Amino acid sequence: MKDSIRKLGLVARQVDERQIKLALALLGLILFVLGAGAPGDLGSG
Amino acid sequence: MILLLAVLAGLLAGLVRAWAGGRSLSSPSLRLVWLAVLAFIPQWAAFYLPATRPWITDDWAAFFLVSSQALLLVFAWFNRRQAGFALLGLGLALNLLVILLNGGLMPISPETVGHLATSVPPPLWQVGSRLGSGKDIVLTVATTRLVWLSDRFVLPDWFPYRVAFSVGDILIAGGAGWLLWTLGRDVTKEPKVKKGSANKCILTFHGMEKN
Repeated sequence: MKDSIRKLGLVARQVDERQIKLALALLGLILFVLGAGAPGDLGSG
Repeated sequence: MILLLAVLAGLLAGLVRAWAGGRSLSSPSLRLVWLAVLAFIPQWAAFYLPATRPWITDDWAAFFLVSSQALLLVFAWFNRRQAGFALLGLGLALNLLVILLNGGLMPISPETVGHLATSVPPPLWQVGSRLGSGKDIVLTVATTRLVWLSDRFVLPDWFPYRVAFSVGDILIAGGAGWLLWTLGRDVTKEPKVKKGSANKCILTFHGMEKN
């Protein structure tokens, strides 16, 4: 029982870490794309 | 806006690919994400944030754009081994090159502006001045350096959103789409130990034997 809870905790932690890593990567990519691109329109930059 | 749509389309494609294979999206190991955040802050203030952008002069906007893109180029270099980053970096380099050669802002011709704003009369924009509060400067084709790298492509007339974009922008959209597409791949089929690192282990082992 104790072992199962420990394993479950490890899995949850791995999922959390992966999701945080993915969110950070997406944030970096979106900011890169917005900053590197220079499309022209009559609205905002 | 148009580039965000490209990111969204790429993300959707990656999600569909992952879903079709019964997986979740893999996460790329991007390096120096903080640098991308830091590099974007000046652009955010100069071009995106309504509270600050009216206060930033054209000269400062040009300075912010160039320095920000230079930092983003460093970010792209550190992540060059990631899928899509070769295209992303090349697109940025081409944009930065034409921006630098034309005074710090992306050139756009009066003809292209006319296509963007059929209902806006020319007095609202002038040759030699910045287009609205964006990254573009209106320059004639004759006075633009490397005109083929400028914002000269437009979407078809039937498309509801009017925007001009450059070769660099196309490469950036392609690179982002490619990176996001690869997030849906099956990572379990990829070899976990690289050839180079395996050789390194063997060399280390032999080195230990000698000692």
